[in-house]
Amino acid sequence: MDTVVIGLGNPFLADDRAGIVVVEDLERLGLPAHFEILHTVGFELLDKVLDYKRAIIVDACMLGKNVGEILEVSVKDIFTSSSLINSHAMHIGSTLKLGDELYPERMPEEIRIFLIEVENIKEFSQEFTPEVLKAVEEVKRRIKELLVL
Amino acid sequence: MKKIEINPITRLEGHGKIAIFLDDNGNVADAFFQVVEFRGYEKFLQGMPMEEVPRSVSTVCGVCRGVHFTASMKAMDEIFGVEPTPTARKLRELYYMSHYIEDHAVILYALGFPDFVVGPEADPAKRNVVGLIEAVGAETGKLVLNKRRLAVKIFELLGGKPNHPVAALPGGWSKTLSEDERKMVADWIDELIELGHLTLQIFEDVVLKNEGYMKLVTGDMYKVVVNYMGSVDEQGRIAYYDGLQKVIDTEGNEIGTFRGKEYLDFISERTIPWSYLKVPYQKKLGNWDGIKEGKGTNLYAVGPLPRLNVAKGMDTPEAQKHYEKFHNTFGSRPVHFVLAYHWARAIELLSAAERMKELINDPDITGTDNWNKPTSVVGEGVGIIEAPRGTLIHHYVTDEKGIVTNANLIVATTHNNGPINLAIKNAAKHFIKDGKVSEGILNYVEMAFRPYDLCLACATHTVTGKFPLEMEIYDSEGKLYKTMRNF
Repeated sequence: MDTVVIGLGNPFLADDRAGIVVVEDLERLGLPAHFEILHTVGFELLDKVLDYKRAIIVDACMLGKNVGEILEVSVKDIFTSSSLINSHAMHIGSTLKLGDELYPERMPEEIRIFLIEVENIKEFSQEFTPEVLKAVEEVKRRIKELLVL
Repeated sequence: MKKIEINPITRLEGHGKIAIFLDDNGNVADAFFQVVEFRGYEKFLQGMPMEEVPRSVSTVCGVCRGVHFTASMKAMDEIFGVEPTPTARKLRELYYMSHYIEDHAVILYALGFPDFVVGPEADPAKRNVVGLIEAVGAETGKLVLNKRRLAVKIFELLGGKPNHPVAALPGGWSKTLSEDERKMVADWIDELIELGHLTLQIFEDVVLKNEGYMKLVTGDMYKVVVNYMGSVDEQGRIAYYDGLQKVIDTEGNEIGTFRGKEYLDFISERTIPWSYLKVPYQKKLGNWDGIKEGKGTNLYAVGPLPRLNVAKGMDTPEAQKHYEKFHNTFGSRPVHFVLAYHWARAIELLSAAERMKELINDPDITGTDNWNKPTSVVGEGVGIIEAPRGTLIHHYVTDEKGIVTNANLIVATTHNNGPINLAIKNAAKHFIKDGKVSEGILNYVEMAFRPYDLCLACATHTVTGKFPLEMEIYDSEGKLYKTMRNF
């Protein structure tokens, strides 16, 4: 497999599950990729992308966009600092940037990051906000298209 | 009164804020660490079969996944009235020690070392893990990450599933080790021991040999005098997976020891008006007396430094040598210097690797008697472990079918709430004088609480590349006259 698809989030919290659900659903389709779920970002994320040609990462975000809005970004777009307050605050940008520093030859040539603007991240629920549900379906469609090309 | 606020904001949830209040002369009157409440897992768990709890609570925190899993698993043993078999017990500990190493390595290399290797006053753009790697070299960085990755592989192999473990059984552990796996893990453990030695060597070269840094480490601005709590084994040595909880006072005198539910006889939690996070205190030392340090306080700290203060020694030979050097360097016990947490953490990293070596060479480790099946439900259980950040308590009550009816979780950051407030206040007092707020204040105050490695609400993936800190300074009339931020 040349591609890894990674979903990030908490599986119990309503909209925070977005990345996880995308990956779980796509994996069931038997698409040509390796699928991973992570509940955190840190060195683990770096470990999961090494040696793949392409990495696709899906995560929920709250960046003040409209709920359900999908952002497709690159590492460059989201890297602003490697400063940390605690180990729980490692972020996608700094983690992947670290990979570029340490393992330039092992990092994917292509990294696509899908962010879904979410709303309800406090409720223990298996129900998405309607706009987020639509976005999850749309991100699944886009990734599926990427994988079957 | 002037007010300074430092706001760390995480990605989706769980944020803390530091508010520093200045008096009319511009000196620090008080400082408060505010945090949102631990998320609603305690409520969420009610109605859940106890055997499902370890897998569920492992999602409390993506970083601390193994610790909540382990503490709840131990509580589950009690709920079902069973002890794990020797093989299960050792597999659990082996798995848990691998978690210690991967977690301690992150804290040290991503948080602790950058301040010293790159320098506390360096440009924040450089004072981080990327700057650290630029300073020590990519080869060393790769070496560290490659070795740490082996700890993660052991964690995943024994946990039974990538990232989040599933192997817990009441009285058992579902993943056994074949001889081939044992040999492979044994080789990896040798590399983890090397990682422990390397980490301590870096600390020696960068911090211990630097007079200026040692002045910082032993300075009053980073000194917090409180009581300490941690687990010890039967010989009084450090214990991580299981032990007797020991509490000592500010001068090292033993206050008492306890196990399991007896924690309720020792620990009380106080609600405070400025934060959702309670402040625990040692009630054997009297009633709530506020956030005060020094002799007579009933606040206490947990974590690597407290463990080295509480224990009479380490349980492995090489770590023991470093333990002795640690205490000889500081002279008097207990050690109250917050930055010494980093050194203690490095010693524990080596200790955990050495303990893994003992476990992997134990004949029981490849045993197949891995489950002492329960036959009844006792209905109440307390699991206490020493998590990398400090003592973690999981307390559950169930009905006669083992369905959770009540849950109480006390995490390390909660135990440390009082000391964290004091650490921030002491650092702020030192660096803010007569209303003069140095540009470096943000990092110096951060340095005061980074050693505790706060575990806030634990949804850990920020996407914007920022963990912003904002500090607002108000004059005595309440007007904002300066804002400082790291973004």
